[in-house]
Amino acid sequence: MSIAEELSALRDEALDAVVSATDLDSLEAVRIAYLGKKGSLTAVLRGLGSLSAEERPAAGKLSNEVRIALEEALTQKRSRLESEALASRISAQAVDVTLPGRQRMPGKRHVIHQVVDEIVQTFVGLGYEIGEGPEVELDYYNFTALNHPADHPARALQDTFYVRDLSGDRAVVEGESDVLLRTHTSPVQVHTMETKKPPIYVLAPGKVYRRDVADPSHLPQFTQIEGLVVDEGITFGDLKGTLEHFVKRMFGDVSRVRLRPHFFPFTEPSAEVDISCGICGGEGCRSCGGEGWLEILGCGMVDPNVFRHVGIDPERYSGFAFGMGAERIAALKYGIPDLRLFIEGDMRFLRQF
Amino acid sequence: MRVSLKWLSELVDIDVDVSTLCDRLDMTGTKVEAVHMTGATLDGVVVGQVLTKDPHPEADKLSCCTVDVGEAEALSIVCGATNFKAGDKVPVATVGATLPNGMTIKKAKLRGQVSMGMMCSSTELAVGGDASGLLILPEDAPIGVAYGTYAGLSDTVLELEVTPNRPDCLSMVGVAREVGAVMGSPFKTPASLPEEAGAPAAGAVTVRVDNPDLCPRYTARVMRGVKVGPSPDWLVQRITAAGARPINNVVDVTNYILFELGQPLHAFDLDKIAASGGKAEIIVRTAIEGEELKTLDGQVRRLAADTLVIADTRGPVALAGVMGGEDSEVSDQTVDVLLESACFDTSTTSRTSRRLGLISEASLRFERGVDPELAARASDRAAQLLAEVSGGTVAPGIVDVYPAAPEPCVLRLRGERLRAIIGAPITDDEAASILVSLGLTLEPAEDGFDVTVPTFRPDLVREIDLIEEVVRVWGMERVPSTFPGGRERVGALTAGQQRDLSIGVALRAAGLNEHIGYAFADPRDMERLGWELGPDEVPVELINPMSEEQAVMRWTLAAGLLRAVSYNQRRGAGDVHIYELGNVFVTAPGRKQPKQRLMVGGVLAGAWERPSWDQDARPLDFFDGKGAVETLLTELGVDRVKFRTSERAWLQAGRSADVIVRGDVVGWIGEVAPQVLDAYGATGPVTMFELGVAPLGKAGTRTRAYSEVPRYPSVNLDIALVVDEEVTSEQLVHAMTSAGGKLLDGIRLFDVYRDPQDAPAGERRLPEGKKSLAFSLSYRSNEQTLSDEVVRPVHEKLLAKVCRATGAEVRG
Ligand SMILES: [Zn+2]
Repeated sequence: MSIAEELSALRDEALDAVVSATDLDSLEAVRIAYLGKKGSLTAVLRGLGSLSAEERPAAGKLSNEVRIALEEALTQKRSRLESEALASRISAQAVDVTLPGRQRMPGKRHVIHQVVDEIVQTFVGLGYEIGEGPEVELDYYNFTALNHPADHPARALQDTFYVRDLSGDRAVVEGESDVLLRTHTSPVQVHTMETKKPPIYVLAPGKVYRRDVADPSHLPQFTQIEGLVVDEGITFGDLKGTLEHFVKRMFGDVSRVRLRPHFFPFTEPSAEVDISCGICGGEGCRSCGGEGWLEILGCGMVDPNVFRHVGIDPERYSGFAFGMGAERIAALKYGIPDLRLFIEGDMRFLRQF
Repeated sequence: MRVSLKWLSELVDIDVDVSTLCDRLDMTGTKVEAVHMTGATLDGVVVGQVLTKDPHPEADKLSCCTVDVGEAEALSIVCGATNFKAGDKVPVATVGATLPNGMTIKKAKLRGQVSMGMMCSSTELAVGGDASGLLILPEDAPIGVAYGTYAGLSDTVLELEVTPNRPDCLSMVGVAREVGAVMGSPFKTPASLPEEAGAPAAGAVTVRVDNPDLCPRYTARVMRGVKVGPSPDWLVQRITAAGARPINNVVDVTNYILFELGQPLHAFDLDKIAASGGKAEIIVRTAIEGEELKTLDGQVRRLAADTLVIADTRGPVALAGVMGGEDSEVSDQTVDVLLESACFDTSTTSRTSRRLGLISEASLRFERGVDPELAARASDRAAQLLAEVSGGTVAPGIVDVYPAAPEPCVLRLRGERLRAIIGAPITDDEAASILVSLGLTLEPAEDGFDVTVPTFRPDLVREIDLIEEVVRVWGMERVPSTFPGGRERVGALTAGQQRDLSIGVALRAAGLNEHIGYAFADPRDMERLGWELGPDEVPVELINPMSEEQAVMRWTLAAGLLRAVSYNQRRGAGDVHIYELGNVFVTAPGRKQPKQRLMVGGVLAGAWERPSWDQDARPLDFFDGKGAVETLLTELGVDRVKFRTSERAWLQAGRSADVIVRGDVVGWIGEVAPQVLDAYGATGPVTMFELGVAPLGKAGTRTRAYSEVPRYPSVNLDIALVVDEEVTSEQLVHAMTSAGGKLLDGIRLFDVYRDPQDAPAGERRLPEGKKSLAFSLSYRSNEQTLSDEVVRPVHEKLLAKVCRATGAEVRG
C-alpha cells in the first residue's frame, strides 16, 4: 500500500471515528488515538522522514491535509458535543416555574392606619402638623369648651362612656361623670388652641368611643381624624376647597363633593360632606341607599364661643374644623361590609391590605 | 320628625315633586332621612258595589256575587262573609293586588265557582276596625276609585332629621315656614279662637309657679262636659302619620297640637287634681328628694331634688315637660279636663329626661326650647278642637302665669363680616331677603342690618347664627372653593410621631401584622393573667360599660393580644403574628384623669408560614419573639439592651425575660404560661411581649455613626466551649469580648448542644450537667490582611481567659 493510500485509509477511519464519538470523552480518545503522541497519524507523520525525497513533498502535503481535516472535524464535533452537553445539563436543571416562591411575608399596616397615613400625608403636604390628646378626657374638653353647654341636647346625641371619677367630684347628672372617654377627636382642637397661637394648621387622628353595640355599621371604639385651621382671613370657601382637595386625593378625581348644611355645637356654619357614590357615580344604587351620595365627614367654621373659651379673638381670627371616621372611609374605599372586621384581629383580614 | 305631605300642603304651597323638595331640604340643612309612601300597599284595591249575592251551590258558608268595580264587566267573586247584601259598597282587591299581609290576589276556583278577586275586611286592609266581616263603605263611595285615594290613606311621609338647634322644625308649622323660605312660597299659620261658655276657668283652677326660672310660663284652661272616646278618622290619620298612636279624643288632640304647632300639652282629669276652696290647685315646683310619681307608662319614678314637677296639694301629678302621672290621667270617666300649655326650662327638662331615661315627644321639644309666646295660642287652638271632637264646652279665659315675656332679640348683621366668613359675594340684598323669608324682621343699619329674631327661633342669638342662616339658604354649593393663604406654616411630624411610625415599620419588617384591639378590658383579666398593678394603682372603671367583659380600660395590651390569638385559633387561622401600638390606662384613688401610657405589644403563635413544598413550618417560640424585639430595638437605635430571666405570673417560668435598656426594665417577653392560655382559650406555645414606648423613645437615637467598611478579609476560627448549664451565652460572649482585644471583630453563636435526656451513658458526649456552645470568631485588622501567625496567639490567649473566667473547656 502506498503512503497515499495509507493516509487516505487513515483519514477515512479517523473521520468515521469522529463521527461515531458520542461524547466528549470518546471524542478525546479519538483525538489521542490519531493525533496524540502515540497516535497513528502522528506515527505516519513521523515516518515521513524515511521517505525518498521525491515522495516526501507529496506525502507531506497529503498528510498535512489529513491532519487539518481531522483537526477540523474534531473541533466541530467537540463544539457540537459541548453545546449538546450544556443543553442537556440545562434541561436537567429546569424547574416548574409555577411552583410557589419562598417568600417571607412582611407584616401589614392595619388598613385603618393605612387610611390614616394617607390622610396625614395629604394634610402634612398642605402644611399641617399632627396633634394629639388623651383618650380619657374631661367633660370640659369633650363638651363644655366645644360649646356643648351643660344639659345641651347635643350631649345626648353622642352616647358617652363615663369613667369613675376618683377625685371625689360629683357630676351634675347622676350616672354621668366629669371624666369620660372622648366621643370625638375635637377636644384636641381645644388642647391645641390652649397651647399654640395662630396660625394653627393641625390634623389629629385618634381613637374615640361611643356607647354603640358593635354591629356591621357601628363600633363602640373607632378612629376619628380631626382637622383644625385658625388663621387670619380663613373663609368657608377655604374649608370647601381644602376638603375637595382631600376627597380627590383619597377617592380619585372623579369623585364629586357636596356640603350639606348641618348642625354641630362647635362650628358655625356647619356642614356634612357627601361624596358621590363610587359605585353608581351619583345615579343612586343600593350601596348609597339610592341617594347617589355617601356622607363622609362633618365640618364647619370654628364657633366664636370655642374661640372665647381658649382666648382667641374671633374678630381677628377665623378658622375651620372638620372630623371624619377612618373606619367609614376605609369601608367605602375597600368595600368592607362589616366594621367589626377592623377590630377582631383576624389574621386573614389583617393580611389582605 | 315625620311630616305628612298631605298635611304640609295645607300649610304651604308645594308645587314641585317630592324628590325636588327633598333635595332642596337636604341642601338647606334639613336632611330627609326617608320617604315613606303610605297607602301605596293598597294598589289594586278599589271601591266596588255588590250587584248580586246568591248562595254557593255547593257550600253553605259561601256566596257567589257579582261586583261592579267600574269596569265594563262585573266581577264574579266568591265570598265567605255574611254581613253584607246586594247594593252594599265594599273595598275589592282585584286580581294582582297585594294586601298588607302579603297575600296576592289571584284568579281562583272555590268549589267549582270562579272568583276574580276578594272583598275585604278592615283587618285585611290593615286600616283598623272590626275584623268580623267586610268593611261596608258609605253609599256615596265612588265605584272604581282606588280605595287608598277614596279613604285618604295615600300620603307621602318625609322623615326629617331635625338638628338640635332647630326646635321650630319639630312642628308642622315650623317645617312649613322652613319649606316656604327655601322654596320661596307663602305659608300660613293655623289659628283659632274657641267659643267659650259657662263659668270662667279662673274660678275652677289656680296656678302657682314656685320656680319661674324653670317654668317661664304656665297656662291652664278648663273644658267641661267632655265625652272621652275614639277620635274621628282625620285626626287619627294625622297623628298616625306623625308617628303617634291614637288613644282617645282628648289625648289625640293634645298630640295633634304638639305636632302641628310644636307645643306639648297635657290634659289632666280636673277631678283628680286636689282642690281647695273649690279650685283645683296647680303648683309648679321642684320635687322634694325622695318623692315618687307613677308616670303614664306605669312606672314608679323616684324624683331628685332638682326635678321640676306639676303638683297639687297632695304631691306631684306630672313630671314637668316630660310625662304625666297615671293618677291624674284622662280616662273614659273623665268629664272635666284641665289643659296645661306651658313652657319649661331646657336644661331642667333635659336633665330629668336623661336621669330617668325617659324621652317623650314633649321632653324632646322642651329640652330644645319651646316658644313661650306659643302657649296661649296653642291652648286656644286645642280647646277649640277638643270642643269639636269631644263635645265639651270651653270655660272662658286662660289662667296664665307669665311673669316676664322675653325681650325680642336684636342682632347686627354686618355685610362685610358675612362675606369675610363665607368667602362668597353674597349681597346685602340677598342676605336680607333670605332672613325675611325665614320670618325675621330687618332694619337697615350703617354696616348691614339690625335683625329682630322671632321667639320661635331661640337658636339665633349671635351674628354668626344669622350668617349661617344666610349661607345655608343662599347655597353652600355656590361658595367658591379656595385654599387658606396663611404663611408661617410647615407641615411635619414630631420626633415622637416619627418614632411611633418607625416602631410599626420595624415590627412589620420582622413579620408582625398590625392589630387595633379594643381599649376596653375585662376586670377579670387581672385574675386570669395574675397581673398586679403598681402600689396605689387601680384600673380605670367605666360607669356605663357595654358589658361586664368591657367594664374597664386595659392596663396592658396582653389580654387583648391573647384574645386575638384565641379568636384566630378558633377560626383555624393558627399562625398568628400581630403587634399593637396603643394606649393603656391606670388611675389612683383621689385622681381625676387617669394616666395614659403608650405601649407596644406583640404576640406570635403557630409558624411564620404553613409548610410548603420544600420548607417545613417551624413552630414559633421565645426566640422568634425575641428576634422581633431585637429588630425593633436595633431599628430604634436602642443600645445597651439586656434580656434577664424574670418571673411574671402570665409567662412560663424559665421562658420569660425582662427587657432591660440601660439598666431600666422597659418591658417583658416570654412564652405565655399554660394556665393563662387555658383562661383565654388559646393553644401554646404563644410568645408575647410588651414594651413601654416612652422609654424606648428616650433610649433610642435616630442618628447613626459611620464605622469603616472592612477592607481586609477576616480570619474566622470556630470554637466549641463546654460549660455548666448555668453559664449563659451572654456570659461567654462577654468573656470573649473582654478578652479578645482589638483584632476580635465578631462573635457568632452557631450551635448549642446538649446530650439528649434519654441518651444511654455510652452515647453521652458531654459530662453530666454540661452543654456545649459553638462560636465562630472573626479576627480582622483595618491595616492588613491577618496571617495565622498573628491571629493564633491572640486566639489562644482569648481561649485561656474565657476558660478561666467561665470554667469552660474547649471541646474537640
Ligand atoms: Zn350608589
